[in-house]
Amino acid sequence: MKPTAYPRFGKGVKLRHEGNGSIMLLIPEGALVLNASAAAALELVDGTRPLAEIIAAVAEQFDVTADRAGEDLSELFERLEQRGLVQ
Amino acid sequence: MNAQLRPLSLLCELTYRCNLQCPYCYNPLDLRAYRDELTTGQWSSVLQAAADLGVIQAHFSGGEPTLRPDLVALVEAAAACGLYTNLITQGTFLDDELLDRLVDGGLNHVQISIQAPQAPLADRIAGAIVHDKKADALRRVLTRDVALTLNCVLHRLNHDSIEEVIDYAQRLGIRRLELANVQFYGWAYRNRGALMPTLEQVRHGEDVVAAARERLRGSMEIVYVLPDYFGDFPKPCMNGWGRQFITVTPNGYALPCPAAAGITTLAFENVRDRALGEIWCDSASFVRYRGTDWMPEPCRSCERRELDWGGCRCQAYLITGDPGVTDPACSLSPDHAAIASLREETSGAEPVYRRA
Repeated sequence: MKPTAYPRFGKGVKLRHEGNGSIMLLIPEGALVLNASAAAALELVDGTRPLAEIIAAVAEQFDVTADRAGEDLSELFERLEQRGLVQ
Repeated sequence: MNAQLRPLSLLCELTYRCNLQCPYCYNPLDLRAYRDELTTGQWSSVLQAAADLGVIQAHFSGGEPTLRPDLVALVEAAAACGLYTNLITQGTFLDDELLDRLVDGGLNHVQISIQAPQAPLADRIAGAIVHDKKADALRRVLTRDVALTLNCVLHRLNHDSIEEVIDYAQRLGIRRLELANVQFYGWAYRNRGALMPTLEQVRHGEDVVAAARERLRGSMEIVYVLPDYFGDFPKPCMNGWGRQFITVTPNGYALPCPAAAGITTLAFENVRDRALGEIWCDSASFVRYRGTDWMPEPCRSCERRELDWGGCRCQAYLITGDPGVTDPACSLSPDHAAIASLREETSGAEPVYRRA
């Protein structure tokens, strides 16, 4: 997925906030437990923000370089896109 | 009970009624015993109780769940509790109106099954002329804001069509395909001689799936459910007895596994008599095979004991008469020879069609 893409969730994909503050991604016939940075990134997925903006926001929130956040998150979005969970 | 243990998934078997007669159905043989179905209010209470326990997904299945006139109300009730909702259907009643009401009610995912990729064979397996209706339902679902999985249960009568199933899915634009080798419970166990795939079919199926996954990477996800009697290790049935899953039968019995009612040595409890949370935490049937303490050898000292969880209790019972032994599907089981003989016990006989 390119940094200029505007990711949005595929059908039947949604975030779920747990009582203990953790966030899960609910998907057809499954659920993915998200780490904090993945959760922060996916909370910004709504089809109106480019991936680059999401990465920059997460980098700022977790006080890491945009390159470092970009590496982790690009891989995450790539995997989700492969499975049709993010478009 | 371990305080961390929380059910994640509730399977609501709303009814065992069905207009199809598939001989591979895992529903119990004594279908008439389940006619006293829970009411809308009782199901709504079950859904709320499940959500309170921490369940995240509600699966509506059967039988054919669209035969329940209150299906939309139950999907709405589940969505109102914050549950992810999944409808498991054969699709023959999924017209525009019902589908719109379900999606408006908060349905997240639909799984539609076909019996084979071509009408004559599919209709022969279903025992009804329904295949073309299913294609209509699949097209309808694809135009709505709801996720779709196409499912086909594989067995000896249709295994040779596995490539055509993938082509069929691809032509329709299916994003997620589940190819599930038949599991031998209920009617399927009764019909195992007619349904058991051959070793050649199983090996061919693996090759076809591996090639298709490569070819369709990024456009179709293929979930492949391995055949039960052909591996070295058993399936981690339900990810362990009473660990993540609850099934509620049409008449209200809470089970750790959809096939568990067949285990006559256990007394299961009913949501009409006891709260779901108590049944989950404390009932003798859920506690009996939970975790690893119940395990005999070879499971007890096996390094895979928390991967396989001893395999399937229902299968152990069906094949050995004792639900408390290692699943005979495991190559380490002292009863494993029984699996080999079942695998070879194929018959040319016509299967017995499911009927009440």
